[in-house]
Amino acid sequence: MKSKKSNSLMGMAFFGPALLLLTLFLFLPMILTLIFSFTDYFALSPDLTHFVGLENFSKIFKDELFSSAFWNTVKFVLIIVPAQSLGALGLALLINKVTICKKYFKVAFFIPVVMSLAVVSNLWMQIYSPEGILNTMLSHIGIDAQPFIYSSNQALPSIAIMSVWQGVGYQMIIFLGGLQAINPALYEAAEMDHASEWQKFKDITLPELKPLCVFVFITVTIGAFRMIVQPMIMTGGGPSHSTYTLVYDIYETGTVNWEIGLASAMAIVFTIFVVILTIIQTVTTKDKEGKYANKKTKNS
Amino acid sequence: MKKTVSIAFASMLFISILSGCGYKNVNPGDVSGYDNGETYISMWVHTIEDTPEGQAYKKSVEQFNKKFDGTYFADLEFIPRNDSGGGYSDKINASVMSGDLPDVITVDGPNVAAYAANGIIQPLAELTETERSVYLDSILEQGTYNDKLYALGAMESSVGLYYNKAILREAGISVPDAENPWTWSEFTEILEKLKPVMSEKNGYPLDMTFPVGEASIYYYAPFIWSNGGDLISADGLNADNVFNSQENTETMQYFRSLVDNKYMSQAPVEKLFESGRAAFKFDGAWEVNTIYESYPDIELGVAPYVVSNNWNGERYTPTGSWAYAATSKTQNIDAATELVKWMSGTDSGVLLFENTKSMPSTYAAYDQITLFEEDENYKALYEQLRDYGHPRPKTPVYPQVSTSFQQALESVALSGKDAQKQLDKSVERINAKLERYTRK
Repeated sequence: MKSKKSNSLMGMAFFGPALLLLTLFLFLPMILTLIFSFTDYFALSPDLTHFVGLENFSKIFKDELFSSAFWNTVKFVLIIVPAQSLGALGLALLINKVTICKKYFKVAFFIPVVMSLAVVSNLWMQIYSPEGILNTMLSHIGIDAQPFIYSSNQALPSIAIMSVWQGVGYQMIIFLGGLQAINPALYEAAEMDHASEWQKFKDITLPELKPLCVFVFITVTIGAFRMIVQPMIMTGGGPSHSTYTLVYDIYETGTVNWEIGLASAMAIVFTIFVVILTIIQTVTTKDKEGKYANKKTKNS
Repeated sequence: MKKTVSIAFASMLFISILSGCGYKNVNPGDVSGYDNGETYISMWVHTIEDTPEGQAYKKSVEQFNKKFDGTYFADLEFIPRNDSGGGYSDKINASVMSGDLPDVITVDGPNVAAYAANGIIQPLAELTETERSVYLDSILEQGTYNDKLYALGAMESSVGLYYNKAILREAGISVPDAENPWTWSEFTEILEKLKPVMSEKNGYPLDMTFPVGEASIYYYAPFIWSNGGDLISADGLNADNVFNSQENTETMQYFRSLVDNKYMSQAPVEKLFESGRAAFKFDGAWEVNTIYESYPDIELGVAPYVVSNNWNGERYTPTGSWAYAATSKTQNIDAATELVKWMSGTDSGVLLFENTKSMPSTYAAYDQITLFEEDENYKALYEQLRDYGHPRPKTPVYPQVSTSFQQALESVALSGKDAQKQLDKSVERINAKLERYTRK
């Protein structure tokens, strides 16, 4: 009994500082955001704050800019999630097969991940510029110069592609770790049965990577929803708001226009949306995982 | 519910105390140079110490403390900021809430109205006529809100219509004097004439962009003003029938025609003017120094800012920069005003010019700096500022006006959207932000 108590004290001693900091910098701000979202809190005159009920929320849903920011974000997610997840898997499979210079490839694909987003964005602005490297290459194969980030049709896909390039290395390393953890005996057994490469991939590699796939899928989705730095630096949300995202809208409302109350409400709506989406993702993927687990026990 | 809000504030305050930015009470001797009997004045500036700009502020404050030894002591604190002014304004916002503001702060010109309307800054102590008369009209105009003087500029600024002398000579185009600027139709003719010349050089007549951020309204609002339009009503509280007026629709369509006729590149090309591939460029006064230092091959000239065909000689050219103001927190407005006057005064202005080449805010400073007499380009910029400078819109919702202007400009000029519709949309957005001030 005594040792249990001292154990828990010990635990608190380790846990306490972290909990205090978390409370200060995470939980309290979260609660404050929730409270502010029901007020007209204005950064320049905090004394005049009133409780306004759901007014902020009704404002948000009537706001054309917020809904266009919402759809832009969805478009980003729809491009980035499949491209980045599949890209990472593809790269991991390729690198896993490579025998020479494996380290080189790993590092080469991982470097963009450790680079600052601001640096990467500036780099790609050069690449996408009217007389940049990409347009020079295009002109060699007879394609006219493209405006890329300077056109309202091409800006969003251009930024999405750049984001995939920047982020794909991280998920690649995760997949690579997963691939190397697969028991080689499984492949040996498959070879005895004269399984084709595709069958091996479909029936061994993919099922073994399934839990990782779920993790990658969810983290990439949440990451894509939080898109702000790239459009902020490269296009300023333009042209014509075509790359204006939800988080960008929250930032502009709260810090540029000083409307903390409204921005807090936006953040709450955004959070609820992402939470719902994550729950849907978890539920749908869990179901399949369950089936797979059954199959596995049956087989063995 | 009021209680919940106050609890929220209490906890925020608690956080700010914990994080160590609580209210500071400074006693004589705490800071070196602050002696008994002196009035302590704290001041924030929007830059870091290790820049030429920061060094100039530091030196000015040292001079102030020397001059007013025994009476006042100014304590300078440097607050870093990023390009778009974040960081510094975040610090101000946070301090407004925690009641932690210093006595004197720097404010970007267009923000004076918002800070004044929300009671963050207070009117300066009364200045005598002689004291006022040292400042450029544009500085006094920028610092005034509701007929009271709140801020005095640390520096002024201007935008030039720069031209490449060699190219204009080659095309046989002569530049008019400041009283007779090119009108839009004259300018269009010139651009048309230059188009074949410039396409031979693989360039455009105009090096022009509509960038996100403050630059767009700063460079191109003069087109609105010289066409008899404005961006906000005189009291700064209404945009309807002002921002979306017939005149402004015309102005937007003029910008569209520049893109439509391919007088400028739709996507920005780096260093078009600097590499001799554009005849004209709109840019801040700093461009003169950039050209002199880094592109000596370019023969630089400053042409008077283009005006609409309806211009009647009124003020219309770009102005505005950082200014000093006393916060509502300060107990001693006379001391704060004294510091503001010193920091915006001639000596400080000359010092700042020597360090950063930014344009001073007082007439006497221009007289002292020989460059404004000897160099025709600096001289032209100064005269344009002195005779035709117009402040940016004075309204508490300035940030929304600025972003709306840029977005409308971009949508109409670059994407070819309907001007009236875009301006109407902007008005809706601006007026929504104004509700806070109009319902009071």
